[in-house]
Amino acid sequence: MTTTTAAAGTKTPLIPPSTHPYADVIHRLEAGGSMLPDTPENLQQIIGIYKAYAVPMDFYWRDLLYIAERVFLNPLPAFKYFISQEYLDLPNSYAGDQASLRIWRGGEKAHPELLEFMAKGETRAMPKLLHHLWHDRVNMEFAEACMQAMFWHQGMGGRFNDYLASEVYRANADRAIKAYFKGNLVMLGLYKLFPEMFIEKVRQLSYTANLGLFWEVMAPVFFEMSDLYDEGQLTSVPQAMDFLVNGIFAVAGRPIYHHAYIGGECFEIIPKSEGFTWLYEAALPYVEAVFYRTSPFRGTKSYNAQADQVPANQADFHYGILYADVFPVGSAGIPPTLLMQDMLHFLPPYLQELYKQHRRGEEDQLIQLGITFQRSMYNVTSAVIQALRCALLYPLDDTNPEHLKANRSFFEAQMDRFLRPEARLSDIQTQDYR
Amino acid sequence: MPTILETAQAAGAFGTLLAAVDAAGLREALEGPGPFTVFAPIDAAFAALPPGTVQTLVDNPPQLARILKYHVIAGAYHQAQLVEQQNWPSLEGDPIPVRCPNPLEIKNATVVTADVVCSNGVVHVIDRVILPG
Repeated sequence: MTTTTAAAGTKTPLIPPSTHPYADVIHRLEAGGSMLPDTPENLQQIIGIYKAYAVPMDFYWRDLLYIAERVFLNPLPAFKYFISQEYLDLPNSYAGDQASLRIWRGGEKAHPELLEFMAKGETRAMPKLLHHLWHDRVNMEFAEACMQAMFWHQGMGGRFNDYLASEVYRANADRAIKAYFKGNLVMLGLYKLFPEMFIEKVRQLSYTANLGLFWEVMAPVFFEMSDLYDEGQLTSVPQAMDFLVNGIFAVAGRPIYHHAYIGGECFEIIPKSEGFTWLYEAALPYVEAVFYRTSPFRGTKSYNAQADQVPANQADFHYGILYADVFPVGSAGIPPTLLMQDMLHFLPPYLQELYKQHRRGEEDQLIQLGITFQRSMYNVTSAVIQALRCALLYPLDDTNPEHLKANRSFFEAQMDRFLRPEARLSDIQTQDYR
Repeated sequence: MPTILETAQAAGAFGTLLAAVDAAGLREALEGPGPFTVFAPIDAAFAALPPGTVQTLVDNPPQLARILKYHVIAGAYHQAQLVEQQNWPSLEGDPIPVRCPNPLEIKNATVVTADVVCSNGVVHVIDRVILPG
Protein backbone atom coordinates (compact mmCIF):
# COMPACT_ATOMS: atom_id res chain seq x y z
CA MET A 1 0.00 0.00 0.00
CA THR A 2 2.99 2.29 -0.48
CA THR A 3 1.84 3.35 -3.94
CA THR A 4 -1.58 3.81 -5.36
CA THR A 5 -0.74 2.79 -8.93
CA ALA A 6 -3.12 0.38 -10.59
CA ALA A 7 -2.30 -2.36 -13.09
CA ALA A 8 -1.39 -1.09 -16.58
CA GLY A 9 -4.48 -0.74 -18.73
CA THR A 10 -3.94 -3.06 -21.66
CA LYS A 11 -6.64 -5.51 -20.55
CA THR A 12 -10.38 -4.93 -20.84
CA PRO A 13 -11.50 -2.83 -17.86
CA LEU A 14 -13.56 -4.73 -15.32
CA ILE A 15 -16.15 -1.96 -15.11
CA PRO A 16 -17.41 0.34 -17.86
CA PRO A 17 -16.10 3.92 -18.00
CA SER A 18 -17.63 6.56 -15.77
CA THR A 19 -20.21 8.92 -17.27
CA HIS A 20 -19.65 11.60 -14.67
CA PRO A 21 -18.89 15.11 -15.99
CA TYR A 22 -15.45 14.70 -14.44
CA ALA A 23 -14.97 11.19 -15.88
CA ASP A 24 -11.46 11.97 -17.10
CA VAL A 25 -10.38 13.00 -13.62
CA ILE A 26 -12.08 9.97 -12.09
CA HIS A 27 -10.31 7.60 -14.47
CA ARG A 28 -7.04 9.30 -13.57
CA LEU A 29 -7.75 8.80 -9.85
CA GLU A 30 -8.61 5.16 -10.54
CA ALA A 31 -5.25 4.78 -12.25
CA GLY A 32 -3.48 6.07 -9.14
CA GLY A 33 -3.23 9.69 -10.20
CA SER A 34 -4.17 13.04 -8.77
CA MET A 35 -6.91 15.54 -9.65
CA LEU A 36 -3.99 17.64 -10.89
CA PRO A 37 -2.64 16.46 -14.26
CA ASP A 38 0.83 14.96 -14.26
CA THR A 39 3.05 17.47 -16.05
CA PRO A 40 6.60 18.59 -15.25
CA GLU A 41 5.43 22.15 -14.74
CA ASN A 42 2.64 21.12 -12.38
CA LEU A 43 5.15 19.16 -10.34
CA GLN A 44 7.54 22.10 -10.26
CA GLN A 45 4.79 24.49 -9.24
CA ILE A 46 3.37 22.39 -6.43
CA ILE A 47 6.70 21.35 -4.93
CA GLY A 48 7.96 24.92 -4.98
CA ILE A 49 4.84 26.23 -3.30
CA TYR A 50 4.85 23.40 -0.73
CA LYS A 51 8.28 24.60 0.32
CA ALA A 52 7.18 28.26 0.33
CA TYR A 53 4.17 27.27 2.47
CA ALA A 54 6.17 25.13 4.88
CA VAL A 55 8.44 27.95 6.05
CA PRO A 56 5.67 30.20 7.48
CA MET A 57 3.87 27.03 8.57
CA ASP A 58 6.89 26.31 10.73
CA PHE A 59 6.01 29.52 12.57
CA TYR A 60 2.26 28.92 12.53
CA TRP A 61 2.39 25.54 14.30
CA ARG A 62 4.82 26.74 16.93
CA ASP A 63 2.90 29.91 17.72
CA LEU A 64 -0.45 28.12 17.70
CA LEU A 65 0.85 25.78 20.39
CA TYR A 66 2.36 28.75 22.24
CA ILE A 67 -1.03 30.47 22.24
CA ALA A 68 -2.97 27.33 23.22
CA GLU A 69 -0.57 26.19 25.91
CA ARG A 70 0.98 29.34 27.37
CA VAL A 71 -0.83 32.51 26.35
CA PHE A 72 -4.03 30.60 27.11
CA LEU A 73 -6.67 32.91 28.61
CA ASN A 74 -4.66 36.11 28.75
CA PRO A 75 -7.46 38.70 28.37
CA LEU A 76 -5.15 41.12 26.57
CA PRO A 77 -2.92 38.90 24.44
CA ALA A 78 -1.19 41.73 22.64
CA PHE A 79 2.01 39.70 22.43
CA LYS A 80 0.61 36.34 21.42
CA TYR A 81 2.59 36.48 18.17
CA PHE A 82 5.79 37.20 20.09
CA ILE A 83 6.61 33.54 20.35
CA SER A 84 8.88 32.50 23.22
CA GLN A 85 12.33 31.13 22.47
CA GLU A 86 11.23 27.83 24.01
CA TYR A 87 8.48 27.39 21.42
CA LEU A 88 10.63 28.68 18.58
CA ASP A 89 13.13 25.97 19.56
CA LEU A 90 10.48 23.33 20.19
CA PRO A 91 11.74 20.20 18.43
CA ASN A 92 9.46 19.17 15.62
CA SER A 93 8.43 15.60 16.45
CA TYR A 94 8.93 14.53 12.84
CA ALA A 95 12.28 16.09 12.00
CA GLY A 96 15.78 15.99 13.43
CA ASP A 97 17.80 13.20 14.98
CA GLN A 98 15.54 12.90 18.00
CA ALA A 99 12.39 12.09 15.98
CA SER A 100 11.07 8.56 16.50
CA LEU A 101 9.30 8.83 13.13
CA ARG A 102 11.51 11.07 11.04
CA ILE A 103 9.70 12.53 8.04
CA TRP A 104 12.20 15.27 7.18
CA ARG A 105 15.92 14.65 7.12
CA GLY A 106 16.43 18.28 8.15
CA GLY A 107 16.67 19.66 11.67
CA GLU A 108 14.00 19.80 14.32
CA LYS A 109 14.23 23.52 15.13
CA ALA A 110 12.79 26.49 13.27
CA HIS A 111 13.76 26.64 9.60
CA PRO A 112 16.76 28.92 8.94
CA GLU A 113 14.85 30.90 6.31
CA LEU A 114 12.13 31.56 8.87
CA LEU A 115 14.64 32.81 11.41
CA GLU A 116 16.23 35.06 8.82
CA PHE A 117 12.87 36.53 7.86
CA MET A 118 11.88 37.03 11.50
CA ALA A 119 15.07 39.01 11.99
CA LYS A 120 14.83 41.24 8.89
CA GLY A 121 11.38 40.97 7.34
CA GLU A 122 10.99 42.76 4.00
CA THR A 123 12.66 45.85 5.45
CA ARG A 124 15.66 45.39 7.70
CA ALA A 125 16.67 44.29 11.17
CA MET A 126 14.82 46.27 13.80
CA PRO A 127 13.23 45.62 17.20
CA LYS A 128 10.52 42.95 17.11
CA LEU A 129 7.84 45.39 18.23
CA LEU A 130 8.49 47.63 15.22
CA HIS A 131 8.35 44.66 12.83
CA HIS A 132 5.09 43.64 14.46
CA LEU A 133 3.46 47.08 14.29
CA TRP A 134 4.66 47.63 10.70
CA HIS A 135 3.19 44.20 9.92
CA ASP A 136 6.49 43.18 8.44
CA ARG A 137 6.31 39.68 9.85
CA VAL A 138 4.76 36.28 9.37
CA ASN A 139 1.02 36.75 8.99
CA MET A 140 -0.09 34.70 11.93
CA GLU A 141 -3.61 36.05 11.40
CA PHE A 142 -3.95 33.55 8.55
CA ALA A 143 -3.30 30.66 10.93
CA GLU A 144 -5.87 31.97 13.38
CA ALA A 145 -8.39 32.37 10.55
CA CYS A 146 -7.93 28.68 9.71
CA MET A 147 -8.48 27.86 13.37
CA GLN A 148 -11.63 30.00 13.36
CA ALA A 149 -12.93 28.10 10.32
CA MET A 150 -12.48 24.77 12.13
CA PHE A 151 -13.97 26.18 15.34
CA TRP A 152 -17.01 27.74 13.69
CA HIS A 153 -17.85 24.82 11.41
CA GLN A 154 -17.49 22.52 14.43
CA GLY A 155 -18.53 18.96 13.67
CA MET A 156 -16.45 18.19 10.61
CA GLY A 157 -15.99 14.56 11.57
CA GLY A 158 -14.19 12.79 14.41
CA ARG A 159 -14.97 13.01 18.08
CA PHE A 160 -13.19 16.23 18.97
CA ASN A 161 -16.14 18.58 18.85
CA ASP A 162 -18.43 16.26 20.82
CA TYR A 163 -15.80 16.01 23.51
CA LEU A 164 -15.66 19.81 23.80
CA ALA A 165 -19.37 19.71 24.72
CA SER A 166 -18.88 17.00 27.36
CA GLU A 167 -18.91 17.33 31.14
CA VAL A 168 -15.43 15.84 31.33
CA TYR A 169 -14.05 18.63 29.14
CA ARG A 170 -15.97 21.24 31.09
CA ALA A 171 -14.46 19.97 34.34
CA ASN A 172 -10.95 19.99 32.82
CA ALA A 173 -11.44 23.49 31.47
CA ASP A 174 -12.87 24.67 34.79
CA ARG A 175 -9.76 23.49 36.63
CA ALA A 176 -7.51 25.29 34.18
CA ILE A 177 -9.54 28.51 34.21
CA LYS A 178 -9.50 28.68 38.00
CA ALA A 179 -5.78 27.94 38.10
CA TYR A 180 -5.02 30.55 35.46
CA PHE A 181 -6.93 33.29 37.24
CA LYS A 182 -5.98 32.20 40.74
CA GLY A 183 -5.94 35.25 42.97
CA ASN A 184 -7.56 37.44 40.30
CA LEU A 185 -10.90 38.27 41.88
CA VAL A 186 -12.11 40.32 38.93
CA MET A 187 -11.61 37.54 36.37
CA LEU A 188 -12.86 34.85 38.72
CA GLY A 189 -15.92 37.00 39.34
CA LEU A 190 -16.46 37.38 35.60
CA TYR A 191 -16.11 33.61 35.25
CA LYS A 192 -18.83 33.13 37.84
CA LEU A 193 -21.09 35.55 35.98
CA PHE A 194 -20.31 34.31 32.46
CA PRO A 195 -18.98 30.76 32.71
CA GLU A 196 -19.97 29.81 29.15
CA MET A 197 -17.90 32.64 27.71
CA PHE A 198 -14.77 31.32 29.40
CA ILE A 199 -15.43 27.68 28.49
CA GLU A 200 -16.02 28.73 24.88
CA LYS A 201 -12.72 30.57 24.88
CA VAL A 202 -10.99 27.41 26.13
CA ARG A 203 -12.70 25.46 23.32
CA GLN A 204 -11.28 27.92 20.84
CA LEU A 205 -7.85 27.38 22.37
CA SER A 206 -8.33 23.61 22.04
CA TYR A 207 -8.92 24.07 18.33
CA THR A 208 -5.79 26.24 18.29
CA ALA A 209 -3.80 23.34 19.75
CA ASN A 210 -5.46 20.94 17.29
CA LEU A 211 -4.36 23.01 14.30
CA GLY A 212 -0.86 23.46 15.71
CA LEU A 213 -0.44 19.70 16.08
CA PHE A 214 -1.81 19.17 12.56
CA TRP A 215 0.62 21.59 10.93
CA GLU A 216 3.56 20.32 13.00
CA VAL A 217 3.29 17.23 10.77
CA MET A 218 2.65 18.99 7.46
CA ALA A 219 5.69 21.27 7.64
CA PRO A 220 8.30 18.45 7.61
CA VAL A 221 6.25 16.58 4.99
CA PHE A 222 6.48 19.55 2.63
CA PHE A 223 10.15 20.21 3.43
CA GLU A 224 11.03 16.60 2.66
CA MET A 225 9.09 16.69 -0.61
CA SER A 226 10.99 19.81 -1.63
CA ASP A 227 14.33 18.17 -0.81
CA LEU A 228 13.41 14.99 -2.69
CA TYR A 229 12.45 17.07 -5.73
CA ASP A 230 15.71 19.01 -5.60
CA GLU A 231 17.56 15.67 -5.45
CA GLY A 232 15.65 14.38 -8.49
CA GLN A 233 13.84 11.73 -6.49
CA LEU A 234 10.33 13.10 -6.93
CA THR A 235 9.61 13.07 -10.63
CA SER A 236 5.84 13.04 -11.07
CA VAL A 237 2.67 14.49 -9.60
CA PRO A 238 1.32 11.00 -8.67
CA GLN A 239 4.60 10.31 -6.87
CA ALA A 240 4.21 13.56 -4.94
CA MET A 241 0.64 12.58 -4.11
CA ASP A 242 1.76 9.11 -2.98
CA PHE A 243 4.31 10.67 -0.65
CA LEU A 244 1.45 12.59 0.96
CA VAL A 245 -0.72 9.45 1.15
CA ASN A 246 2.05 7.53 2.89
CA GLY A 247 2.62 10.48 5.23
CA ILE A 248 -1.07 10.64 6.08
CA PHE A 249 -1.08 6.97 7.07
CA ALA A 250 2.23 7.13 8.93
CA VAL A 251 1.05 9.92 11.20
CA ALA A 252 -2.63 9.00 11.29
CA GLY A 253 -2.38 7.72 14.86
CA ARG A 254 -0.59 10.75 16.28
CA PRO A 255 -2.44 11.89 19.45
CA ILE A 256 -4.34 15.17 19.37
CA TYR A 257 -4.45 16.80 22.78
CA HIS A 258 -4.53 20.16 24.55
CA HIS A 259 -2.20 20.72 27.48
CA ALA A 260 -2.00 24.13 29.16
CA TYR A 261 0.96 25.11 31.32
CA ILE A 262 -0.15 27.29 34.21
CA GLY A 263 2.11 28.21 37.08
CA GLY A 264 4.60 25.50 36.15
CA GLU A 265 1.94 22.80 36.17
CA CYS A 266 0.55 20.93 33.16
CA PHE A 267 -3.24 20.91 32.91
CA GLU A 268 -4.50 18.20 30.57
CA ILE A 269 -7.56 19.91 29.17
CA ILE A 270 -7.71 17.23 26.48
CA PRO A 271 -5.52 14.33 27.60
CA LYS A 272 -3.83 12.02 25.09
CA SER A 273 -5.67 9.18 26.81
CA GLU A 274 -8.93 10.27 25.16
CA GLY A 275 -7.58 8.61 22.03
CA PHE A 276 -8.01 11.49 19.58
CA THR A 277 -6.00 11.00 16.41
CA TRP A 278 -4.31 13.25 13.87
CA LEU A 279 -6.25 11.72 10.99
CA TYR A 280 -9.78 11.68 12.36
CA GLU A 281 -9.75 14.66 14.73
CA ALA A 282 -7.37 17.04 12.96
CA ALA A 283 -6.59 16.35 9.29
CA LEU A 284 -10.03 15.37 7.99
CA PRO A 285 -11.88 18.14 9.87
CA TYR A 286 -9.24 20.62 8.70
CA VAL A 287 -9.64 19.65 5.05
CA GLU A 288 -13.41 19.93 5.24
CA ALA A 289 -13.51 23.19 7.19
CA VAL A 290 -10.62 24.97 5.46
CA PHE A 291 -10.14 23.52 1.96
CA TYR A 292 -13.83 23.25 1.16
CA ARG A 293 -15.92 25.49 3.37
CA THR A 294 -14.14 28.28 5.27
CA SER A 295 -16.27 31.42 5.31
CA PRO A 296 -16.82 34.34 2.94
CA PHE A 297 -14.08 36.87 3.44
CA ARG A 298 -15.14 40.27 4.63
CA GLY A 299 -15.37 42.62 1.70
CA THR A 300 -16.09 39.89 -0.85
CA LYS A 301 -19.68 39.02 0.07
CA SER A 302 -22.41 40.91 1.84
CA TYR A 303 -23.16 39.50 5.26
CA ASN A 304 -26.61 41.09 5.10
CA ALA A 305 -29.01 38.14 5.32
CA GLN A 306 -31.49 39.90 3.02
CA ALA A 307 -28.84 40.09 0.32
CA ASP A 308 -28.79 36.26 0.17
CA GLN A 309 -25.14 36.19 -0.81
CA VAL A 310 -24.11 33.76 1.91
CA PRO A 311 -25.78 30.30 1.92
CA ALA A 312 -28.17 29.59 4.78
CA ASN A 313 -26.86 26.04 4.88
CA GLN A 314 -23.34 25.70 6.28
CA ALA A 315 -22.72 22.63 4.16
CA ASP A 316 -23.04 24.83 1.07
CA PHE A 317 -20.17 27.07 2.08
CA HIS A 318 -17.66 27.05 -0.76
CA TYR A 319 -15.01 29.56 0.17
CA GLY A 320 -12.02 27.31 0.64
CA ILE A 321 -9.01 27.22 -1.67
CA LEU A 322 -10.62 24.56 -3.87
CA TYR A 323 -13.27 27.10 -4.91
CA ALA A 324 -11.27 30.29 -4.67
CA ASP A 325 -11.16 33.02 -7.25
CA VAL A 326 -7.57 33.81 -6.53
CA PHE A 327 -7.60 37.33 -7.88
CA PRO A 328 -7.76 39.25 -4.63
CA VAL A 329 -10.26 42.03 -4.23
CA GLY A 330 -7.78 44.22 -2.50
CA SER A 331 -9.34 44.28 0.94
CA ALA A 332 -6.47 44.25 3.36
CA GLY A 333 -6.23 41.28 5.62
CA ILE A 334 -8.23 38.66 3.76
CA PRO A 335 -6.71 35.44 5.08
CA PRO A 336 -5.68 33.96 1.73
CA THR A 337 -3.86 37.14 0.71
CA LEU A 338 -2.04 37.02 4.03
CA LEU A 339 -0.83 33.53 3.20
CA MET A 340 0.07 34.56 -0.33
CA GLN A 341 2.27 37.33 1.02
CA ASP A 342 3.89 34.87 3.44
CA MET A 343 4.62 32.41 0.63
CA LEU A 344 6.00 35.17 -1.58
CA HIS A 345 8.84 35.59 0.90
CA PHE A 346 10.03 32.01 0.57
CA LEU A 347 9.55 31.11 -3.09
CA PRO A 348 12.34 28.93 -4.44
CA PRO A 349 14.29 30.56 -7.31
CA TYR A 350 12.75 28.29 -9.96
CA LEU A 351 9.27 29.56 -9.11
CA GLN A 352 10.38 33.19 -9.08
CA GLU A 353 11.79 32.57 -12.55
CA LEU A 354 8.62 30.84 -13.73
CA TYR A 355 6.39 33.72 -12.66
CA LYS A 356 8.61 36.28 -14.37
CA GLN A 357 7.99 34.49 -17.67
CA HIS A 358 4.19 34.62 -17.58
CA ARG A 359 1.32 37.07 -17.36
CA ARG A 360 2.54 40.29 -15.75
CA GLY A 361 5.76 38.87 -14.39
CA GLU A 362 6.68 40.22 -11.00
CA GLU A 363 3.66 42.53 -10.96
CA ASP A 364 1.18 39.75 -10.51
CA GLN A 365 3.31 37.05 -8.94
CA LEU A 366 0.98 37.04 -5.94
CA ILE A 367 -1.86 35.89 -8.22
CA GLN A 368 0.34 33.41 -10.02
CA LEU A 369 1.59 31.89 -6.78
CA GLY A 370 -1.96 31.88 -5.43
CA ILE A 371 -3.07 29.78 -8.38
CA THR A 372 -0.03 27.55 -7.94
CA PHE A 373 -1.10 27.14 -4.34
CA GLN A 374 -4.57 26.18 -5.51
CA ARG A 375 -3.10 23.49 -7.77
CA SER A 376 -1.01 22.22 -4.88
CA MET A 377 -3.98 21.98 -2.55
CA TYR A 378 -5.94 20.05 -5.18
CA ASN A 379 -3.03 17.62 -5.04
CA VAL A 380 -3.17 17.45 -1.25
CA THR A 381 -6.94 16.88 -1.46
CA SER A 382 -6.29 14.11 -3.99
CA ALA A 383 -3.96 12.50 -1.47
CA VAL A 384 -6.65 12.70 1.20
CA ILE A 385 -9.19 11.19 -1.20
CA GLN A 386 -6.80 8.37 -2.15
CA ALA A 387 -5.91 7.78 1.51
CA LEU A 388 -9.59 7.52 2.41
CA ARG A 389 -10.15 5.15 -0.50
CA CYS A 390 -7.19 3.08 0.71
CA ALA A 391 -8.39 3.03 4.32
CA LEU A 392 -12.11 2.48 3.79
CA LEU A 393 -12.46 0.90 0.36
CA TYR A 394 -10.41 -1.19 -2.02
CA PRO A 395 -7.06 -1.27 -3.81
CA LEU A 396 -7.03 0.31 -7.26
CA ASP A 397 -5.96 -3.01 -8.80
CA ASP A 398 -8.69 -5.02 -7.10
CA THR A 399 -10.07 -7.69 -9.44
CA ASN A 400 -13.56 -7.75 -7.95
CA PRO A 401 -15.85 -5.55 -10.10
CA GLU A 402 -18.10 -4.87 -7.10
CA HIS A 403 -15.14 -3.45 -5.22
CA LEU A 404 -14.16 -1.30 -8.20
CA LYS A 405 -17.73 -0.03 -8.43
CA ALA A 406 -17.57 0.93 -4.77
CA ASN A 407 -14.33 2.84 -5.41
CA ARG A 408 -15.97 4.47 -8.44
CA SER A 409 -18.99 5.61 -6.38
CA PHE A 410 -16.67 7.09 -3.83
CA PHE A 411 -14.64 9.01 -6.41
CA GLU A 412 -17.79 10.23 -8.14
CA ALA A 413 -19.25 11.46 -4.86
CA GLN A 414 -16.03 13.37 -4.23
CA MET A 415 -16.15 14.89 -7.71
CA ASP A 416 -19.81 15.88 -7.20
CA ARG A 417 -18.53 18.47 -4.75
CA PHE A 418 -16.71 20.20 -7.61
CA LEU A 419 -19.71 20.46 -9.94
CA ARG A 420 -20.67 23.87 -8.65
CA PRO A 421 -19.44 26.73 -10.90
CA GLU A 422 -17.02 28.18 -8.33
CA ALA A 423 -14.92 25.01 -8.24
CA ARG A 424 -11.57 25.24 -9.96
CA LEU A 425 -11.15 21.58 -10.84
CA SER A 426 -11.69 22.26 -14.57
CA ASP A 427 -9.34 25.24 -14.54
CA ILE A 428 -6.41 23.30 -13.10
CA GLN A 429 -6.63 20.76 -15.95
CA THR A 430 -4.93 23.30 -18.25
CA GLN A 431 -1.51 24.81 -17.81
CA ASP A 432 -2.76 28.17 -19.06
CA TYR A 433 -4.68 28.84 -15.84
CA ARG A 434 -2.25 31.19 -14.11
CA MET B 1 -11.38 -24.61 25.00
CA PRO B 2 -8.79 -21.84 24.48
CA THR B 3 -9.64 -18.16 24.76
CA ILE B 4 -9.62 -15.75 21.81
CA LEU B 5 -6.05 -14.66 22.50
CA GLU B 6 -4.82 -18.21 23.14
CA THR B 7 -6.35 -19.26 19.83
CA ALA B 8 -4.65 -16.37 18.03
CA GLN B 9 -1.33 -17.22 19.68
CA ALA B 10 -1.57 -20.87 18.64
CA ALA B 11 -2.48 -20.02 15.04
CA GLY B 12 0.88 -18.30 14.52
CA ALA B 13 -0.45 -15.73 12.04
CA PHE B 14 -1.40 -12.94 14.44
CA GLY B 15 1.91 -11.80 15.88
CA THR B 16 1.30 -8.14 15.08
CA LEU B 17 -2.24 -8.20 16.39
CA LEU B 18 -1.17 -9.77 19.68
CA ALA B 19 1.68 -7.30 20.08
CA ALA B 20 -0.77 -4.49 19.41
CA VAL B 21 -3.25 -5.88 21.96
CA ASP B 22 -0.48 -5.86 24.56
CA ALA B 23 0.74 -2.39 23.60
CA ALA B 24 -2.81 -1.05 23.86
CA GLY B 25 -3.32 -2.65 27.27
CA LEU B 26 -6.27 -4.70 26.07
CA ARG B 27 -5.01 -8.18 26.97
CA GLU B 28 -6.86 -8.36 30.26
CA ALA B 29 -10.13 -7.24 28.69
CA LEU B 30 -9.87 -9.74 25.83
CA GLU B 31 -9.00 -12.56 28.25
CA GLY B 32 -12.18 -11.79 30.15
CA PRO B 33 -15.40 -13.77 29.91
CA GLY B 34 -16.78 -11.50 27.16
CA PRO B 35 -18.20 -12.93 25.02
CA PHE B 36 -16.69 -11.04 22.11
CA THR B 37 -16.72 -11.26 18.36
CA VAL B 38 -13.26 -10.36 17.13
CA PHE B 39 -12.34 -9.61 13.54
CA ALA B 40 -8.67 -10.57 13.63
CA PRO B 41 -6.39 -9.14 10.92
CA ILE B 42 -3.57 -11.44 9.88
CA ASP B 43 0.03 -10.23 10.02
CA ALA B 44 0.03 -9.52 6.29
CA ALA B 45 -2.85 -7.07 6.82
CA PHE B 46 -0.75 -4.96 9.18
CA ALA B 47 2.28 -5.28 6.92
CA ALA B 48 0.24 -3.88 4.02
CA LEU B 49 -0.26 -0.57 5.83
CA PRO B 50 2.17 2.16 4.74
CA PRO B 51 5.46 2.35 6.67
CA GLY B 52 5.20 3.96 10.07
CA THR B 53 1.43 3.50 10.47
CA VAL B 54 1.62 0.65 12.95
CA GLN B 55 4.63 2.12 14.77
CA THR B 56 2.86 5.44 15.40
CA LEU B 57 -0.12 3.55 16.80
CA VAL B 58 2.03 1.24 18.95
CA ASP B 59 3.75 4.33 20.37
CA ASN B 60 0.36 5.74 21.39
CA PRO B 61 -1.67 3.13 23.29
CA PRO B 62 -4.98 5.04 23.57
CA GLN B 63 -5.04 5.68 19.83
CA LEU B 64 -4.07 2.07 19.13
CA ALA B 65 -6.79 0.83 21.49
CA ARG B 66 -9.35 2.79 19.50
CA ILE B 67 -8.39 1.08 16.25
CA LEU B 68 -8.30 -2.34 17.89
CA LYS B 69 -11.68 -1.83 19.57
CA TYR B 70 -13.09 -1.12 16.13
CA HIS B 71 -12.40 -4.82 15.41
CA VAL B 72 -14.51 -6.07 18.35
CA ILE B 73 -18.26 -6.49 18.84
CA ALA B 74 -19.77 -7.24 22.24
CA GLY B 75 -21.42 -10.67 22.03
CA ALA B 76 -20.54 -13.83 20.13
CA TYR B 77 -21.83 -13.84 16.54
CA HIS B 78 -21.28 -16.42 13.89
CA GLN B 79 -21.33 -15.68 10.19
CA ALA B 80 -24.97 -16.72 9.84
CA GLN B 81 -25.94 -14.17 12.49
CA LEU B 82 -23.68 -11.40 11.23
CA VAL B 83 -25.26 -11.36 7.78
CA GLU B 84 -28.69 -10.71 9.27
CA GLN B 85 -27.79 -7.11 10.04
CA GLN B 86 -26.28 -4.40 7.84
CA ASN B 87 -24.26 -2.75 10.61
CA TRP B 88 -22.86 -3.93 13.91
CA PRO B 89 -21.82 -1.64 16.78
CA SER B 90 -18.10 -1.92 17.47
CA LEU B 91 -16.63 -1.41 20.93
CA GLU B 92 -14.99 1.70 19.50
CA GLY B 93 -18.37 3.24 18.80
CA ASP B 94 -18.38 3.44 15.01
CA PRO B 95 -20.51 0.84 13.21
CA ILE B 96 -18.96 -2.08 11.32
CA PRO B 97 -20.87 -2.63 8.05
CA VAL B 98 -21.45 -6.07 6.54
CA ARG B 99 -20.89 -5.33 2.84
CA CYS B 100 -21.32 -8.83 1.41
CA PRO B 101 -22.72 -12.02 2.91
CA ASN B 102 -20.83 -14.51 0.78
CA PRO B 103 -17.91 -14.30 0.76
CA LEU B 104 -18.39 -12.54 4.07
CA GLU B 105 -17.02 -9.02 3.81
CA ILE B 106 -16.75 -6.79 6.86
CA LYS B 107 -16.22 -3.19 5.74
CA ASN B 108 -13.41 -3.43 3.18
CA ALA B 109 -11.99 -6.69 4.57
CA THR B 110 -12.79 -10.22 3.46
CA VAL B 111 -13.28 -12.86 6.12
CA VAL B 112 -10.84 -15.62 5.13
CA THR B 113 -11.83 -17.94 7.97
CA ALA B 114 -15.11 -17.52 9.81
CA ASP B 115 -16.54 -18.93 13.02
CA VAL B 116 -13.41 -19.86 14.97
CA VAL B 117 -15.11 -20.65 18.28
CA CYS B 118 -13.27 -19.83 21.50
CA SER B 119 -14.16 -20.06 25.17
CA ASN B 120 -14.95 -16.35 25.36
CA GLY B 121 -16.27 -15.62 21.89
CA VAL B 122 -15.84 -16.07 18.18
CA VAL B 123 -12.99 -15.03 15.89
CA HIS B 124 -13.34 -14.24 12.21
CA VAL B 125 -10.01 -13.94 10.42
CA ILE B 126 -9.80 -10.96 8.07
CA ASP B 127 -7.29 -9.93 5.41
CA ARG B 128 -7.19 -6.17 6.09
CA VAL B 129 -7.04 -3.84 9.06
CA ILE B 130 -10.41 -2.09 9.16
CA LEU B 131 -10.66 1.58 10.11
CA PRO B 132 -13.53 3.74 11.35
CA GLY B 133 -15.06 6.36 9.10
